[in-house]
Amino acid sequence: MPLQPWMKMLSTDDHLIEPPKLWSDRLPAKYREAGPTIVEQPRPSGGPPAEVWKYEDRLYPTIGLNAVAGKKPEEFGIDPTRYDEMIPGCYDPRARLADMDIDGVWGALCFPSFPRFAGTLFLEGEDPELAHLCVKAWNDYILDEWCATAPDRLIPLVILPLWDVQACVTEIHRTAAKGAKAIAFPENPVPLGLPSFHTDHWDPVFSAAEETGMPLTMHFGTSGQAPITAPEAPMAVMIALFGCNSMYATADLLFSPVFHKHPELKVGLSEGGIGWVPYLLERIDTTWERHRFYQNVNQDVRPSELFRRHIHGCFIDDSFGIEARHAIGVDNITWECDYPHSDSYWPKSRAVAAERLADVPDEEVHKIVELNVRRLYNFPA
Amino acid sequence: MSARPESGRSDWTDLDLLTRKEAGERLHAEIAETRARLDELGEADPQARAALEQRLSLLRARAGDLSGG
Repeated sequence: MPLQPWMKMLSTDDHLIEPPKLWSDRLPAKYREAGPTIVEQPRPSGGPPAEVWKYEDRLYPTIGLNAVAGKKPEEFGIDPTRYDEMIPGCYDPRARLADMDIDGVWGALCFPSFPRFAGTLFLEGEDPELAHLCVKAWNDYILDEWCATAPDRLIPLVILPLWDVQACVTEIHRTAAKGAKAIAFPENPVPLGLPSFHTDHWDPVFSAAEETGMPLTMHFGTSGQAPITAPEAPMAVMIALFGCNSMYATADLLFSPVFHKHPELKVGLSEGGIGWVPYLLERIDTTWERHRFYQNVNQDVRPSELFRRHIHGCFIDDSFGIEARHAIGVDNITWECDYPHSDSYWPKSRAVAAERLADVPDEEVHKIVELNVRRLYNFPA
Repeated sequence: MSARPESGRSDWTDLDLLTRKEAGERLHAEIAETRARLDELGEADPQARAALEQRLSLLRARAGDLSGG
């Protein structure tokens, strides 16, 4: 079996649920009421009240727990809406480690839930100072509590105050000094009302990421734009197409000036799969060969070469991607678990990965499940 | 600051969490599978047997934690 027992599986896409007092324990007294707190709300289906986040004067319909979008109201409540309905591994790092142990997973990079996967919720803040403090509080929780529980197993990812470039730069350096290893960033800032990758707006942020050696991790959905084809379309359409967001991000970045101006910048595409990569790179290269001359795109470097230098993807279950690993680049592939989402194979993630990787040579499996993550995220054994 | 409404956001659509019930069902299925593998193995491979017994113990403990919580 190529997935050897001694290989330490590192997941590049897991999630945590923020504990109720994450912000109230960290914000100054004057902001504790307006900052995110958990409040109870009656549940339409009856039973114990739901617990929801309240931030400033806004109530958020879930505590980051269930998939409400696309569901009929009578289906709400199928998923947990209270902390005591969740498995503790969602919000308790020690329980998380125990769940990882029985799953055969050694390490994990965990994305936020309530702040959204790139912290973009805080763009909605009416008080920028409070929003900034909320970003810093999340990062301090990740660094000082969540990952500090097992620094050799939990990989610290931080979020940014995206409305203020200089504040982003300061936060990157502050958190890097505390041990952060990755930066969550929107797959496309434009739908969020922010400047695109084709402007020079983000250059100081990307330079700070280069200087600190932290990759930008772009989880699908972080643009705030879902691949919805029709109001009547079942949610299955959107779920099936979500990997297209990663394709959009790839084309956007490869035809932008970003990697030409930032030769050390790395980008990780989270949860978008990898099977599409060879097709898209072929298409992008053909476009570049035929159409670059009259457009404001780099004239010298093939986009597929940029991909290999700068971008990596990950997969849970992607047989085509595994078969096409040499066309993608074995060094550009990582594995993800997606715990505690129900897409994960917990508690048999390792066994499923072993099956999927059964025809891959040992040394390539080792790269995919462990070594690439250690290199890309500067996370030595 | 962006003012896009919560309903327009998409990160949430991915948040379909394992419930206690589903997690418990998965654990019990894995416990049954591990026991079957132990029965099949018999006394043939002491090292593999010890590994499976350790896994079974961890799975049972986790299932107990969940049902007790």
